Amino acid sequence: MDIKQSLIGRIHLGDRVGANALLDAWASEHGYERLLAEVLDPTLILIGEEWRSSGTFTLAQVYVAAKVTEDVLGKIADRRKSTSEGQPPKGPVVIGNIEEDFHALGRRMVGTFLRAEGWLVHDLGNDVPAALFVDKAQEIGARVIGVSAMMMTTARNIKRVREEIDRRGLTGRIQLAVGGAVFRVCPGLAEEVGGDGTAPDALGVAGLFDRLWEQSVRKEAGA
Amino acid sequence: MNSMERLQATLAGKPLDRRAIAPVLGLYGARLTNCPLERYYTDPVAYALGQAAVRETFQPDVLCAPLAFASIGAAFGSELVFLDTEAPNLRRPAIQTVEEWDALVVPDPDTHPRLLYFRDVLRLMAAEHKNEIPIAMVVPIPADIPELVMGLESWLETVLFDPAGARRVMDKVIPFYVRLINGFFAAGATFVVMPCGFASPAIVTREIVTNFTRPILAQVLAQLCGPVVLHNVGAPILAHLDLLTGFPSVAAYIVDQRDDLAQARAVIGLDSVLFGGLDCANLGRMTATEVEDGCRAILEERRHDAHFVLGTSGPDVAWNTPPENIHAMRKAAESFGRIDV
Repeated sequence: MDIKQSLIGRIHLGDRVGANALLDAWASEHGYERLLAEVLDPTLILIGEEWRSSGTFTLAQVYVAAKVTEDVLGKIADRRKSTSEGQPPKGPVVIGNIEEDFHALGRRMVGTFLRAEGWLVHDLGNDVPAALFVDKAQEIGARVIGVSAMMMTTARNIKRVREEIDRRGLTGRIQLAVGGAVFRVCPGLAEEVGGDGTAPDALGVAGLFDRLWEQSVRKEAGA
Repeated sequence: MNSMERLQATLAGKPLDRRAIAPVLGLYGARLTNCPLERYYTDPVAYALGQAAVRETFQPDVLCAPLAFASIGAAFGSELVFLDTEAPNLRRPAIQTVEEWDALVVPDPDTHPRLLYFRDVLRLMAAEHKNEIPIAMVVPIPADIPELVMGLESWLETVLFDPAGARRVMDKVIPFYVRLINGFFAAGATFVVMPCGFASPAIVTREIVTNFTRPILAQVLAQLCGPVVLHNVGAPILAHLDLLTGFPSVAAYIVDQRDDLAQARAVIGLDSVLFGGLDCANLGRMTATEVEDGCRAILEERRHDAHFVLGTSGPDVAWNTPPENIHAMRKAAESFGRIDV
C-alpha cells in the first residue's frame, strides 16, 4: 500500500505509535529531509480534503495527525541541530486567540501544521489584545497575523485587530487571517470581522498563509 | 395550556394549543435585567430575576438554569474568567496531566459554593415557576467533565493515548456527576440537558463513542432520578445519533440546525421528543422576518410530528440577538395554530 494511504489508515485508527513507526521506516530508507515534502505534507493535504469533503475525520483524528506531525518535526529538528541542514523558514507569522477567547486547541494545531510547512510561527497564546498582535507583527516583520475565535461574541473582537492594522497604516502590508469553529457555522463572518481570508480547518491554514503572504508582497511592491 | 402542560402533551404526543418553543435564553436574562455577568453567574437571585424577565418578555415554554459549564471546572480548581457578553469561561485548567487527577480533591456538590449556586438558582426558579413552566438544567455529559478540569487538549490526549488513565479519571468523575445531577433534580430541575461533546461526530470517532462515551453514559443514566435530553453541542450529531439511543432516562434529543430532522426522527424513533431549530450563533445575524421564515419552514417540515419542539441549536442565544428575532420564533409557532396530530 502507498505510504500516504497507510499513514492515513494509522491516523484513522488513532494509532500514533504505528504512524511513527511507519514514518521512521520510510525515513530510514529515504531520509528525514524528504519525509516532510514527500510523505507528511501530501498526507496532511489528503486528510484535510477528506475532512472537508466527507466529514470522515474527527477532531480527535486530526489531533492524532497533529501529534504525529509534532513527533516528525522534533526528529527533523534534532537532525538539523546536528547537521545545520535544512531550508530557511517561511515567515515569520503571528498567531493567537483573540481577546476573551480561551479555546487553545485549534490554534495550537494550526501552529503545528504551519511549522510542518516550514513557517516560523510566533504563538501569542490565548486572550491576546488587538494591539499586541500588531505590535508583535511589526516587531518581527510578520506579513500575516492569524487570529482564532471559537464563539460569535469573541469573533467580533477580531474587528479590533483589523482597526489596529488600518489605524497604523499597515493595510495590505499585514494580512489578517481569521478562523475558528464559529466561522464554519456562519458564512460571511470572516469578511464581517475584517479578515483578509479564512480556511475551513487547521489543515488548510498553510495554504491560506502562502496566499496572504504573496498578497502582502504584491501590495508592498505595488505601493 | 401553560408551558408545562404543553411540554407534557408534546411528550405524550397529544394535541397542543400551539407548538412548544424553547430558545435557550439563559444568558439573555442578564441583558433584559441589565445585570453584570459576574453577578448574574454568582448570585442566584440575580439569575432568577433574569429568567423571570425572560418569561415575561418572550413566554418561552422552557426556562434555563445557568449554562455555565466553566463554573463546574472552577469547582475543581480551574481559573474562571467573567466576560462582558457571554457566560464565564476557563482561563486556565486546574491540572495538566492525568497523573494529577490522583491527588485532585473532587468538589462536594452539597457544599461547594460554585455548585450550590446552581442548586440555589433551581430552588428559586422552581418556587416561582415550576408548576407552570419546565426548568432545564444544562450540564455536559460525564465524559466531557474532565475537559473542564484539565483542558480539551490534555483530555483528548488521555482518551486517545492512555485509556487506563482515562478510565481512572472517570472513576472519580462518575460518582461526583451522579450526585451533582441528582442534586439538581432534587432542587427543582424538570429535566437535565446534556450536550454531548465527547459523542459528537465533529470531535470523536464512532469507536470512541462506542467503547468509551456510551458505556459511561449508560452507567450514569441508570443512576439518575429524572429525565435527560441529549444535545448536539453545536455541531451536527446525526452521524452518531444511533449510538445515543436505547438509554432508559433519555426523553428527548436536540439536534443541530444542519441535521436532517426527518432522518433524526427515524433514528430516535417515534416516541422521543425531538428539538430542532435555528443556530444560536446565526439568530442574531438574521432579520426577524428571516427568523420567522426559517422557523416556519422547520415547523412545516415537522407539521405531522407530534413530539417536536421548536428550539435553537448551539449554546445560549447570543447577547446581541435583537429581541424581535426571539419574538419571531413564537410568532412562527402561533401561525401554525393548534397541533392535532
